[in-house]
Amino acid sequence: MSRGLDSTYPELIEKAQEIFWLRGYKGVSVKDLSEHLNVGETILYNKYSKDSLFLDSLDYYTNTYTGPFLNLLRETTGGLDSLRSFFYDLVDALINKTFPRSCLVVNTVVELRNENSEVIKRYKAYLKEFKESIVIVLDKAYDMEQIKHKDKIAIYAEFLMGIVFTMGIFYKLKPAEELRQYIDEQLSFIR
Amino acid sequence: MRYKEYNINKVLEKSITLFWQKGYNGCSINEIVLETGVNRFSLYHEFKNKEGILDASLDLYRDRYCDDKLSLLKAEGNLFETLKNFYMSFLEQKIYMSGCYFIHIGTELADTNEKVKNSLNEYLKEIQCLLSSLLIQNKYSFKDAEFKARHLLGLFCTSMSLGLIHTSEERNKYLTNGINLIL
Repeated sequence: MSRGLDSTYPELIEKAQEIFWLRGYKGVSVKDLSEHLNVGETILYNKYSKDSLFLDSLDYYTNTYTGPFLNLLRETTGGLDSLRSFFYDLVDALINKTFPRSCLVVNTVVELRNENSEVIKRYKAYLKEFKESIVIVLDKAYDMEQIKHKDKIAIYAEFLMGIVFTMGIFYKLKPAEELRQYIDEQLSFIR
Repeated sequence: MRYKEYNINKVLEKSITLFWQKGYNGCSINEIVLETGVNRFSLYHEFKNKEGILDASLDLYRDRYCDDKLSLLKAEGNLFETLKNFYMSFLEQKIYMSGCYFIHIGTELADTNEKVKNSLNEYLKEIQCLLSSLLIQNKYSFKDAEFKARHLLGLFCTSMSLGLIHTSEERNKYLTNGINLIL
């Protein structure tokens, strides 16, 4: 039986995404992919290509993980408290290994930066959505009088977005308690 | 007597470039052999294995590339400018070596490699101490200096990742706002 015909494409992407998330783009060879997906290397070269599997994996990741996460965030009503829980949840997911590693998009930024225009398009869209979601929550926080300066909301949103990037490094080094304290303190800067 | 026909630091410099560009896992010993012209046997003899090369390359990066940058935190004068110069010193490099090697390698490996995790931790602690003493020198109380240094370090981590994709204008704005909010 020819290998590679027993999985549907969405199943392949789901699997590819797992290994890319763990090891990054460059850390996964076509051979690794072939073994992990149980698809012959020739088929990978001729039919799919590592690049397109990676891009589709990024899409799978944002659709499955970050998209729903951000949807929930936008619908919250607690202002800064909701934002705090959002970041706490992120810490828990990292510490408990619900997420196998820090954000795939963040890691991809560090790894691939300006090398691939399709990748750039994707992380820019993701960061934009992320920032807009925080802005929505901060608008609510302003209405609840939790923050004073409406005109600074865009600046605050960008600043707080940095937490995800900082956590991507800090969670590897510090206990959960310190990470939560860090988040509390970050939020205190914008009051 | 046989002398070494290659320079260890040159091998390490080339390894830094390779690991930085291709990632540690994306780069084989073979590529290091090809790039440095030093044969596999000599590499293993000197560094034991690929991980040995990585560890030594982090040490070299710290000593050779970071010393000047970290010293910027000892500058006297305007605090805001001092901080900004420090962050920017990492970001004004050639595109592929923009950012910080420790953060780059740490992002890839610190979850799984205990040694990398420890080097990264030591390195970040060193920066945090320098930030702290800079703030104390600028009349912040000990407690406040420690608190703010923690967040200036966070800003460092963020600008070495998120900052990589900023245009210079965005980066300037981001750092300015970040430093001002924290101080």
